Amino acid sequence: MALDIETLVDLYRDMWLIRAFEFGLEREFKKGNVPGMLHTGVGQEATQAALAAHLKATDAFFPDHRCHGINALAEEKHQGDGERIMAELFGRATGVCSGKGGSLHSANPKVGNFGDNAVEGSYMATVLGVALAFQMRGQPNVACCIIGDGTVGRGEFHESLNMAAIWKLPVFYACVNNGYAISTPVGKAHASADIVDLARGYGFPCEQVDGNDIEAAYEAVQKAVEHIRAGQGPYFLEFKTWRWQGIFSGEFRPPEEVRYWKEERDPIKLARQKILERGSLSAADLDRIEAEVKAQIEEWIEFAKASPPPDPAKATADVYVGW
Amino acid sequence: MTQTAVRMRTFVQALNEALDLAMERDPHVYLIGEDIGEMGGDFGVTRGLWAKYGEARVRDTPLSEAAIIGTAVGSAMMGFRPVAEIMFADFLGECYDQLVNNAAKMHYMFDGQFKAPIVVRTACGGGFGGGPHHSQSVEGWFLNVPGLVIVAPSTPADAKGLLLASIENDNPILFLEHKALYRIKGEVPEGYYTTPLRKAAVVREGKDVTIVAAMKMVHEALAAAAELEQEGVSAEVIDLRTIRPYDAETVVGSVRKTGRAVVVNEAPKIGGLASELSALIGEECFYDLKAPVVRVAGLDAPIPFSLALEKIILPDKEKVIEGVRSVMK
Repeated sequence: MALDIETLVDLYRDMWLIRAFEFGLEREFKKGNVPGMLHTGVGQEATQAALAAHLKATDAFFPDHRCHGINALAEEKHQGDGERIMAELFGRATGVCSGKGGSLHSANPKVGNFGDNAVEGSYMATVLGVALAFQMRGQPNVACCIIGDGTVGRGEFHESLNMAAIWKLPVFYACVNNGYAISTPVGKAHASADIVDLARGYGFPCEQVDGNDIEAAYEAVQKAVEHIRAGQGPYFLEFKTWRWQGIFSGEFRPPEEVRYWKEERDPIKLARQKILERGSLSAADLDRIEAEVKAQIEEWIEFAKASPPPDPAKATADVYVGW
Repeated sequence: MTQTAVRMRTFVQALNEALDLAMERDPHVYLIGEDIGEMGGDFGVTRGLWAKYGEARVRDTPLSEAAIIGTAVGSAMMGFRPVAEIMFADFLGECYDQLVNNAAKMHYMFDGQFKAPIVVRTACGGGFGGGPHHSQSVEGWFLNVPGLVIVAPSTPADAKGLLLASIENDNPILFLEHKALYRIKGEVPEGYYTTPLRKAAVVREGKDVTIVAAMKMVHEALAAAAELEQEGVSAEVIDLRTIRPYDAETVVGSVRKTGRAVVVNEAPKIGGLASELSALIGEECFYDLKAPVVRVAGLDAPIPFSLALEKIILPDKEKVIEGVRSVMK
C-alpha cells in the first residue's frame, strides 16, 4: 500500500534533515570543531526517519551507534527544535546532557530518548526493564532498542530476546543491518548475514524489510509498533541497509559495492523518484525542502558553536544522586 | 521508651524482614533473580516473599545476570526500586558492564536526567570450601567505580537497617552479604528502621591501635582484639559498613587517636580495600603514626577448594593478631 503524499514528503524532509545534519557535522569534525569520534548515519536515513515517525514521546528508545538523526528528529518532533543534539556533539553547555554525554550518550527523557550506551549490547539488557515498567503499569507503550548487526555478537542479544519472550515484554528490536561492524562483514561475523534468522528461535514475530525503501520501512515499523501496543509482546524487525561512512582510514569496501549502494540504493534518491512519479510535487519543490533543512542545520551548527563550554562545576557534579 | 524483649534473628532473617518491610511499604519495590521465587533463594533470603507478593514482584529469571541487572536498571530509570539477587558475587563478571558502565555512570553522563536506584544483593566471601568461583571477595573489582555504592554489613541488625537504607537510596548499590555471616544471630530491632550509609561504626573502643575491617573480618578483628587485651593491647575496631564512598573521617579520627593502624580485608592485598585504606591513612595521618600501617589481607592467589589451602590464603583472627603485634613493636 502506498503512503499518502503528505507523509511521504514529510519523511523525505526528515531524511534530508538527517543527511544534512551528518554532512554538516562531518565538515565541522574535519575542521577540528567536534571532539571525539564520528559515526554518521548517512545511507541509513530511511530506517531512522521511519522509526522517529512512529515513536511517541511516551515511548522509550535506546539509540544505536549512528543515532544523531533519530535523536535530532525526536527533539524536533517533541520539543520543537533539534539544536540541543548538535550542541551536545560539540560538547557545549546547551547540549541535551550539558556536553557530558556526547555523540554516544545523548539522552532526553522528555522525548523518550533513553540514551545510547557506547558498549554495544548493553542497552539490550536495559530495554527489558523499561519494557517491564510499561507492562507493570499497563501502559501501551513501546520500549524500542535500536541495534546494529555488530551488536548481535554480544551475549546480551540472547539474554534479552529470551527474557522478552518469556515475559512477553513490549520490546521493539529494531536491527539496522548495514552490512559491517566497523570492518567486519556481517556474513563473516554471524551464522547468518540475515540477522532475522538468528532471532526467529525465540518465538515472537521477526520480520525483515528493505531499509532503504522509506515506504516499506515506514509500514514495517507501523506494523511492529501496533503489535506491541496491542499487548502482544516483543517484535523483531531487521532493516537491510548500508552505511556510507567507511572506516577511520577511509573506504575499504569494493568500488562496485560502493557505487551500487550510493547510486542505485540511496534512500533519499529512491524517495525522490517515488514522489516525482506521483506528480503532485515538482523537482523544484523538493529542492526547496532540501535547501530549507540544510539552512536549518547551519543554524544549529552556529548555535552549537556560539554556545559556551559546560560550567567547570559540572565535571564532578551528579556522580551520586543527592551526595 | 518502653523496654522490649531482646529479639534475636539470623542475618538471613534480618535481610528477609527488610525485604518484606520494603515491599509492604513501597509498591515500586520488586525482587528479581535466580531461584528467588518459590524456592526463596539459594540462601533463603527471599523465603516466603513469593507466596506473599506474587510472581510479578518476586521474579525468577533464567541464568542471565546481564539481563537481570539490565532489567533492574531499566525499570529503575522508570521509577521502580528493584532489588536484584546475584546468587554468588563471583558471577558479577557476567553483569559487570551493566553495573560499571550503565548503572554507575547513568546519572552523571546523562546530566542528572536519569537515575538508577537499584540494589544488587550478592553472596560473597570464602572459608567454606566453595572453590575459586564461589568464594571471592569482590569489593576491589568495584572500588574504582565512581557512582557506585558498596554496602557491606557485618551484623544482623545492620544487615536489616542498611538494606532498608539502600532500597530507599537513589544510587546504584552493590550490597555484599558474606556467606559466613548468613547463619549468625544477633539482636534485631522490630519494624522499619534504617542504618545510615557512608557511616562507619566504632564497634570496640581502644587506645593503642585501630583495626579497620568489614563483614566477616570485623568478627575476626573483634576476636583478635579480645585476645590482644590479655596481652595488654587496647585495640579499637572500626566496622566500615559502607565500602564506597567510605567514612574517611571516622577512620582518620581513630588513627589520629591511637597512632597505629591495621587494615583487614579478605580480598587480595594488591589494589584492594586494604591498600586504599592504607593509602588514606598514610596521606592523612603520617605524622600521627607510631608505626607503618599494616595490611592484613588475602594472599595474591585465587581461592583454592581444599580447606587446608584456603586457610592459608584468607586472613583470620591469628593473622590480625600477628599484624597488630607487628605495629606494637
